[in-house]
Amino acid sequence: MQSANVLLRKIVRSSMLPLAAQHGMKKDLFPLSRTLSLSLHLKQDKLCEPSEKVDLDEWKKVMKSGLQEEVSEMVSEPKELSSLAAARETLEMWRLAGRAVPENITEDQLKTFMECPSKSAKKKYLKYLHLKELYKKNSKRKTDEKRERRLEEQDEASKPEESRKSSFLCLWSSTMDKAYNWRAAQSMIFGQPLVFDMSYEKEMSVREVTNTVRQIALSEGCNRRSLEPFHIHLCNFKDDSLYHREFVKHYREAWGKLLITVTDKCYTEIFPKDKLIYLTADSPKVMKTFEHDKIYIVGSMVDKSIKTGVSLARAKRLGLETAALPLEKYLLWSRGAKNLTLDQMMHILLTLKDTADWKKALEFVPKRKYCGFVNKPVKELKKTLDLINTLRLGKGREEVGKQFAKNYSKKYKLK
Amino acid sequence: VQPPEKPLQAEEWDKLREDFQAPEVFEEVMLNSMIRCNSPIDVAKSLLTHVAKRKGDVAYNVLVKYLTLCVQQGRVSEVRDVYDIMKARFKILESGAYSLLIKGLSNSDHWRMALTLLEEVKKIMIPSRTCYECCIKAASRHQDFKLAFELYDEMLAQDVVPTLNVLQSFFDFSRGMKGAELQKELFGILLYLRDNQIYPHKTFMRSIRLWFESIPGGNWRGRLTKIKESGQCPVCDHQLEDSNLTEEEYSNLSQRIIKDVIHGTDTFRKTSPQEFEAFQTFVENRLPFDIVIDGLNVSHIKTRKLQCENLLDAVNCLAKENTRLLVLGRKHMLMNTSNWKREIMKEMQNKADFFFAENISEDDAFLLYATLRSGKHCKFVTRDFLRDHKACLSDSLTRHLFRKWQRGHQVAFSAEGRSIQFLVSFPAAPAFRYDCVVQTTGDTWHIPYKDVFEEKYSYQVPRKWLCIQQK
Repeated sequence: MQSANVLLRKIVRSSMLPLAAQHGMKKDLFPLSRTLSLSLHLKQDKLCEPSEKVDLDEWKKVMKSGLQEEVSEMVSEPKELSSLAAARETLEMWRLAGRAVPENITEDQLKTFMECPSKSAKKKYLKYLHLKELYKKNSKRKTDEKRERRLEEQDEASKPEESRKSSFLCLWSSTMDKAYNWRAAQSMIFGQPLVFDMSYEKEMSVREVTNTVRQIALSEGCNRRSLEPFHIHLCNFKDDSLYHREFVKHYREAWGKLLITVTDKCYTEIFPKDKLIYLTADSPKVMKTFEHDKIYIVGSMVDKSIKTGVSLARAKRLGLETAALPLEKYLLWSRGAKNLTLDQMMHILLTLKDTADWKKALEFVPKRKYCGFVNKPVKELKKTLDLINTLRLGKGREEVGKQFAKNYSKKYKLK
Repeated sequence: VQPPEKPLQAEEWDKLREDFQAPEVFEEVMLNSMIRCNSPIDVAKSLLTHVAKRKGDVAYNVLVKYLTLCVQQGRVSEVRDVYDIMKARFKILESGAYSLLIKGLSNSDHWRMALTLLEEVKKIMIPSRTCYECCIKAASRHQDFKLAFELYDEMLAQDVVPTLNVLQSFFDFSRGMKGAELQKELFGILLYLRDNQIYPHKTFMRSIRLWFESIPGGNWRGRLTKIKESGQCPVCDHQLEDSNLTEEEYSNLSQRIIKDVIHGTDTFRKTSPQEFEAFQTFVENRLPFDIVIDGLNVSHIKTRKLQCENLLDAVNCLAKENTRLLVLGRKHMLMNTSNWKREIMKEMQNKADFFFAENISEDDAFLLYATLRSGKHCKFVTRDFLRDHKACLSDSLTRHLFRKWQRGHQVAFSAEGRSIQFLVSFPAAPAFRYDCVVQTTGDTWHIPYKDVFEEKYSYQVPRKWLCIQQK
């Protein structure tokens, strides 16, 4: 008994912590396991303690000490903030918290922010501003880099051979402009009209109107550059509308000099009704060929909230013929809505007008929206697909099953 | 990254930081993983100390992360310290920090502070529902019901939807309390459930029941039950409210359907004024119908059969003596195509009235109109959930009415085997003759509830009920 006691004492002593032994474990020896577990626990506790004395609350002291000067500064400021200033403060705090918030925000943007009806609308708007800011910063950095590089290059390739002979004056862009304008002017007399219906302002948010104007500007640009431009009509255009303001913002002085027709009249007042075709993705009729004596109407609407049937309703009201692009017929559609942007429409229509080649024209549909071109009519494709499916699922499966059973039963029987 | 298990020295943090790929966000990432692993607070402290020593400052987002950890572990004194530091450092805080502080403080003896913080939040924006939840719970935990209900009313006034937790906590904390005012408020909550067609879950239901039974001198007694198909409660033999709309509700719903669903912003989007007018005179001349059928929807029951045969089956199945049928379709059905045989169409037209809309019009809108116009007994047949039409209704009250009416009047069908089974009420449950909402007669309450983790589609209603009656 005694020898065992000594042995145990030795074990206890030799363990890392003499503490357990000190607590008088001599007397009762049988709860050995308890002792050991206790010591283990103590050991962990010991380890957890900041052994080499890290002052854990030191950061608080640092934070508080840094304060003194700032506090004295702040006292002099007026306590009540205007709502705008308060919003600005909140934004700053959000930025510090690492949310997607722009660094600089103008008074107008702040007001728009405060007028947002819901929290999520506010968040969205801020994110939009944030991304815009990032984008701007990046492009600025890039142009700066470019400029520097150019300056370096100029320094390197400084003086030699200044006099290069050329029979043309280097006035490319302005000459081109003149040529383009000449063509556009001709189109205003002889060209095929293309109407943008500007009556959807009420259906859109401010952002959507801005996007629409941008898209129209892009379409106008590519129209001007084409060999045989359309004569663009902006119909139902109100002078004091948001559209107008956005156009002026976009084009500045050039707005008055554009070679397009802008009118507050409806297209039905200008053109004979039977010549008009309203292009809309909701139309039950599918366009087969591009007709050179018809006047196509495109609704100037960006609709992010998918309001189906708005432009179809308009065409129905006016009793106009409608048509949709034959997207399904020529493309294996994969994802995305069938409504295209205005500049894509313009590209497609211009190509059709010049070449009458659907495949070429539909190249302008964004690649992400379709898997590829269909070389056979879809109906035939569907038939073969159905055939394959029935073969695979119907008879095919049975047969495969039978064969499978045959093979395996044979094997099993043999064994 | 794996957070360390014990506080580290500055040098050790430095080393870890250098090994990390993106040293700028090291503290953030580290604190995030500490929050995830619920690391000891001392470890986080040592990291903050390291940051403070290195930069002479701790960034706001790092502080907020640390605060999250403190709140997560319920370290109230630490939360207060952080709050003091933040308050001294920044003029105002942002919503994330506020809600953390409110959450952290409302569970402690300093819960009054959470209320002052809530006031501060209100200056900037509408507080979130979890902020309200914390404050209301704190107030009712400390038996300050007046305050709790003030906050609750304020929340409702601002269109913040209360969590079921809050509602439940009212019942939990006022168990065994006396007071007519309190009782009225709690009844108000039950009526809120009724108005918004919210079904409490099982534990919430238990809280309600316990509260009722604990009212001193109230003699309330609750029993769990299932309501008979006739709408009678097996416990108290009380007849539940029937599912029909009142006259006022009915006419209200009809008008709103015409205004919002059929006309909407532009009548031309779904039909045209001429067509709608023609349809109206058509319906008025033949009123009332007993069953209105969505022809195109029904014609797709079985893909093996021709569409017109499907429709013929349906019409034959539903046409009995003196049952007036109306079938809605589109003009292309009359074209004698492979799917629509002229003879069969002729045969059907002898048994039922047909209206053919334009091919680009929406026939569902006509379906709703004809059914509503025919009166309360009229039912309609379609498998469509009609969600898009419900979405056209502008306010939630009318949408609730629509759902209720739909439950009572839509007939779905199942196409198992050869025959088509009709008159399965929508969606495949026995016809509800009673209305499935919280309801009272003064001395009884009937409350439908669902199991806690029961997956329930929004169109389904719970089958289990709590019956409470006063002896």
